[in-house]
Amino acid sequence: MEPLTICVNSQTPLLQFLPPPEDTPGAAWPGSARLDEFDEGVEYRFSPGGVTRMVYPLLRRLLANGVLAGASWVALNSVGPRQVRADGLTLENVALDPLRMGGYAKTKEAIWSTVHGLEPPPAVDDLFWSEEFTEYAFYNRVTAERIRKLDADLDFDAFYIHDFQQMPVGQMLGSLKPKIFRWHIPFEAERIPESWRELFVSYLAEYDVVVVSTERYRAALTTLGYEGKSLRMYPYVDPREYRRPTKKVVEATCARWGVRPDDLVILVVARMDPTKAHDRAIQAVAKLVPAYPTVRLVLVGNGSFSAASGGLGLSKAARWRAHLEAMAHRLGVGERVIFTGHVGQEALDCFYERAQFTVLPSVNEGFGLVVVESWLHRRPALVTERAGIAELIQDGENGILFDPDDIGSLAQKMRELLDDDGTVSARLAQNALVTSKLCTLARAARGEAELLAMAIEA
Amino acid sequence: MFGLPSWVLPYLGVLVILGVTWVVATLAGLLLGSLMRHSAPQVAAAARRIGPLIVWTVGLLLAVQEAGLSIEILAVVVILFGIAAILALRQPLENLGAKYFSDVYTPFRVGDSITVAAYSGKVIEINAMSTVLLAEDDRLIALPNSLLMREAVINSSPKAWKKLTVPISVPASADLARLENEILKSLGKLRVRLDKRFPPTVVVKSRTDQSIDLILTLMIRTPEERESILAEVNRRVHGALQASRARSNAPPGPPPGATAPASPPSSTPGAGPPG
Repeated sequence: MEPLTICVNSQTPLLQFLPPPEDTPGAAWPGSARLDEFDEGVEYRFSPGGVTRMVYPLLRRLLANGVLAGASWVALNSVGPRQVRADGLTLENVALDPLRMGGYAKTKEAIWSTVHGLEPPPAVDDLFWSEEFTEYAFYNRVTAERIRKLDADLDFDAFYIHDFQQMPVGQMLGSLKPKIFRWHIPFEAERIPESWRELFVSYLAEYDVVVVSTERYRAALTTLGYEGKSLRMYPYVDPREYRRPTKKVVEATCARWGVRPDDLVILVVARMDPTKAHDRAIQAVAKLVPAYPTVRLVLVGNGSFSAASGGLGLSKAARWRAHLEAMAHRLGVGERVIFTGHVGQEALDCFYERAQFTVLPSVNEGFGLVVVESWLHRRPALVTERAGIAELIQDGENGILFDPDDIGSLAQKMRELLDDDGTVSARLAQNALVTSKLCTLARAARGEAELLAMAIEA
Repeated sequence: MFGLPSWVLPYLGVLVILGVTWVVATLAGLLLGSLMRHSAPQVAAAARRIGPLIVWTVGLLLAVQEAGLSIEILAVVVILFGIAAILALRQPLENLGAKYFSDVYTPFRVGDSITVAAYSGKVIEINAMSTVLLAEDDRLIALPNSLLMREAVINSSPKAWKKLTVPISVPASADLARLENEILKSLGKLRVRLDKRFPPTVVVKSRTDQSIDLILTLMIRTPEERESILAEVNRRVHGALQASRARSNAPPGPPPGATAPASPPSSTPGAGPPG
């Protein structure tokens, strides 16, 4: 197959540009620029989460191995240049004014919260017929029109649309070229209200292939009435990105956040969001502290693009952290819980190395790539049974599953690992390392190349 | 008169007639647009085009006569040519006309299963001359569009009565996102009459350098209300289109909604609004 040119679309941009100070004289974003013209950490940062961990490395790999000749990546980004060229990619930023952004964000949060089971679904009157929904449509139309104009110039071979925020884009594009849709968040039929189903299916039917993260989600597509082609592809990471720092570096790094040499570290790596259910981990740790006074719960992560000031500006990350801090103090474990916020890859590697084990406590989780990260660091993971990745875990063999609503059971499973002489942990870690091979970039790149070929040659 | 040379007067008359024609044609366009605001947007648009065209035809003939040329021969040639064209192209014209009206008034679309006279199948194409059905035995059946205007059409697609489709044609320069947004907002008021599981959708049917053809789709709740809902939808779409036209005639300014990426006040060339 000839190298392809594709258009990728996601809500979250790869790069979040940091607004310059208001008093910077003569500062302005250029219309088009190269990434190397900007300083990472000063003028921009990579968005946390899947776009940086998955989509970006995948595109780079596909460009490097000749599957792709070029790729344009259209995303919502109201701050920064309109177009940025980086590593053979062209990042195309779509901007919305704050008024429309508010309506869009409200609609997508309502869908997100419902699908994650966090809140009861809003009535259709309050969702599909609200002014906010027209802004959701507006954003998707602006995006579709931008993609269409790029297509007129670049004549893409296929469109690859990511996640529920962009679901209507396929219908709005109206192109006969292959369209792939990747659904990243949980897809449980019972969580999608009856009154939403036909609309969702009508959106999905506009794509040639719908990709989901687990077999369970694929089955849910059928339950919902989707009759098109679907595919299960596990999310992935690039193992080469995960290094094992020296013990000295680990101790020095962890000490900076107040972790002492004799601490028993339990690690949670997750965005500051209620669905990640850090509160379950705090409550379980509170049960352990009397018997294990040196236990430390380290919570790594801050808000997503939705919570960023340059993103959608939703304040839920700050609210959630304040709630967790108050809870930890109320339970008498304020000193035992460390909030690191966002940390760089090197520090993250240190925390994984320092941890006895990791916990993914989410009440609902599309997949749970942090579990794979833990496996790559040879750390056993306690995983909520409501994560997509639970599909890959044989309880007690390559990981430990738990019900996030059963705090006592979670505390007991933590206790068992803390009491372990190393035998169980080593076996879990060894088996999990084998399982992690299902979630590597190399494997995904082969799968995605086949997916593109399948969509194009159909 | 007014001290002008006599040879100027016929030309002055021509200019006056052309000026009056321009005024009358413009007024006719506005009047027809207003009178037909409850009609299908495509029909209203056609009326707005054809009305002024007729006025201009009459005006030009009068101007030719004023210039001292005989219009009788010209008129006879035009009429004879028209009759000959109609006779020669009767069938295609009938099909073309039928296609035009079927786009607006016939309750079936590509993908529906229909029966017309002795023919049944799934509609896979509606072109200028015929509607193509795919029969159950894989045969293709091309029905002349004129037949669809004469014969009863049975649409047996499930809940075909629910679907209300409104073709809309807008200039290629229109701000599609904003127009769609205004249409959707305006239709929100009718939701009590519509199936709430399906918010209205706008899809682009085709594009040319001059125009974009859109299809607005809604799902109604009660079959008997179909006609009245359609009239109300047409009125609301008409309003949104008028607002859109007024905007495109207004002096250029930054479009609301789609903005340039946030920049300090001294904006740089090239950092314009996105598509």
